[in-house]
Amino acid sequence: MRRILIIDDEDDIREVAALSLESVAGWQISTADCAAEGIKKAIAEKPDAILMDVMMPAMDGPTAFKEMQKLPEIAHIPVILLTAKVQGVDQRRFAGLGVAAVLFKPFDPLSLSEEISTALGWS
Amino acid sequence: MDPKLTPEESAKRMLAALWERNLPVLRDRLDQLDAASEAAATGSLSALMREDAASTAHKLAGSLGMFGYQRGTEFARKMELLFSEPGAVDALSLRELASSLRESVNL
Repeated sequence: MRRILIIDDEDDIREVAALSLESVAGWQISTADCAAEGIKKAIAEKPDAILMDVMMPAMDGPTAFKEMQKLPEIAHIPVILLTAKVQGVDQRRFAGLGVAAVLFKPFDPLSLSEEISTALGWS
Repeated sequence: MDPKLTPEESAKRMLAALWERNLPVLRDRLDQLDAASEAAATGSLSALMREDAASTAHKLAGSLGMFGYQRGTEFARKMELLFSEPGAVDALSLRELASSLRESVNL
């Protein structure tokens, strides 16, 4: 069973993503509502992948990703950024960070697990 | 989870429950956008209020489509762009978009 860590400060997004991945794909989900907690959970739980929001207060997704890359115990975990930014310049900036993939909000809850699987080559 | 339901049916049912639970937050956000649009129309939109409105519209743009309200996402995205653009704000368009957004989610 896949284990995914979802990091997002928005309750509704976090809950829908968790519900989607648990009920549709049967994956095991852990959540965090800020980047700092997410990094702690990533270290403790070593998930198979991390789904992380771009825009969060205190520490945003790109900064959190860079912090994760400095930690050898979690640097190998694929990170997928989740963003509602639709402008091309933002998309290219996020893709250029070296994350595994960038997915866009709003996502379809019924196909989110397929999108993740495809992005990570799990299918 | 109801064992007679497929995973997709079960997910749809739980999504509907989540939508209901999130309605108070959604109503607050729509009210914020209405207030910011009105403030823009009367020339009293502060920089902070404008920034908050852009952030609120961004959140709605990212979430409404998950619940099947794709048009709501599109209206919210247009509002986010209008609030984010530098210079004078297009108050007339904002008012129309705020109204269309509310209608699109039946609230």
